[in-house]
Amino acid sequence: MKMTKIYEGPYQWLMFGRDENKPDKIIDTNQYVVRTGSRCLVIDPGGVELFAPMLAAVLHHAPVEEITDLFASHQDPDIISSLGLWDQALPNAKLHASALWEGSIRHFGCETIEYIPIQDNGGVITLDRVELQVIPAHYMHASANFNIYDPNAKILMSGDVGAALEEPGAPVFVDNFDEHVEKMRFFHQRWMPSNQAKRFWIDRVRDLDVEILAPQHGRMFKGDDVKRFLDWFDALQVGIAV
Amino acid sequence: MKKNQVKSQFVAVASIAAELSDVMNVAKEISLAAANAKAIAFRAGEKAKGFQPITDFINELAKDTINLVNNINLQAVKLYQLTVNEHKMTAASNQLARVKKLTGNAAYEASMNTSQEQAEQRKMDCRREFQSHVDQLLEQLASVMHPARAARVIAANSRIEASQAGEYLQSLQAVAESVDNAALVIHSNVQRCRTALSIINFTD
Ligand SMILES: [Fe+2]
Ligand SMILES: [Fe+2]
Repeated sequence: MKMTKIYEGPYQWLMFGRDENKPDKIIDTNQYVVRTGSRCLVIDPGGVELFAPMLAAVLHHAPVEEITDLFASHQDPDIISSLGLWDQALPNAKLHASALWEGSIRHFGCETIEYIPIQDNGGVITLDRVELQVIPAHYMHASANFNIYDPNAKILMSGDVGAALEEPGAPVFVDNFDEHVEKMRFFHQRWMPSNQAKRFWIDRVRDLDVEILAPQHGRMFKGDDVKRFLDWFDALQVGIAV
Repeated sequence: MKKNQVKSQFVAVASIAAELSDVMNVAKEISLAAANAKAIAFRAGEKAKGFQPITDFINELAKDTINLVNNINLQAVKLYQLTVNEHKMTAASNQLARVKKLTGNAAYEASMNTSQEQAEQRKMDCRREFQSHVDQLLEQLASVMHPARAARVIAANSRIEASQAGEYLQSLQAVAESVDNAALVIHSNVQRCRTALSIINFTD
């Protein structure tokens, strides 16, 4: 599992991904970790297959008792099917996830971990003195769906929005936006169901100061590429399967 | 745990539920046969005098069997839950062992030890609980054999009584026949349940 530090300040943002040992047929995912003085948040911890390499990677940065928070942007198996295993590994952790998805996500196993339901209008996750905003991104692509925004680090973890299907071992940042577009087009047209929801999301994100847009698959967008992505996405028709 | 062992464990538990529901149906048939026999014996009057208490007895046996099976069914549901738990705990304990292998020399590797030991402990607890539940279930299944065996004895008696019943001979013999068959079916179903249960064992 490859680790890239994407913010370093009084706390850190770490990106994990490009796992070499991943079985071929499962989709490659990016996991994000926010590490503060005494706590650690794992954002979209990943599927069952990824649990062991992911926890092993996080143990370089935090002991299990300080891995206090998990966040699931939505209910998909590539996001959170590892929950039942984290449940056995973490002695004092909370899972922040949609209230609407609680009944589904609990199928993955959630007995020791406390489920903190996020209401439709989002909320805040506080880690020591760091406040992360939970931004509604409903229908992007799941019916109940959230992003995480850190106004201080200017990072938006956007879940499946901005995702691209990449070759194994691809670089972690977009370096040529025009070339990158083709790896994203079908994914967004097919997985994002609603132009109306997309409009709403773009308007909301344009009001945020975003230096890094960090999706759950593929590469992150930095600086001007964030704006390029928003413009490109704005012009794209989604929900094409009907 | 190897894949086909996992499969056989789940299949064994599921097949027990299926066998039990068959036993239940057969017990209900006996109950019906008893009601039927009672009506015939009533019509036969004096000629089937000896048959009347037998019909009550058949009915009792059917009721006993239904009660026992109802109870065992509940236990079988519990056994299924225990199977799921055991499977989850074994997976968790294997995965935590995998984390250990992958950590290399991570700074906080040791923080995992307690979780790992606990997972191992939970796995062993699950297995113990599962095993003792299987033992209980085997005992209960053995107890279903008793009414089934008694039913066969009664069926034999019924045949003798039926021979005294003149023109009712054939219908009463048919009753005896169906009780005997039902008892045989129950006996072999229960036997299959016991075999399925006794071959379940765990290996990592
Ligand atoms: Fe998804
Ligand atoms: Fe995804």
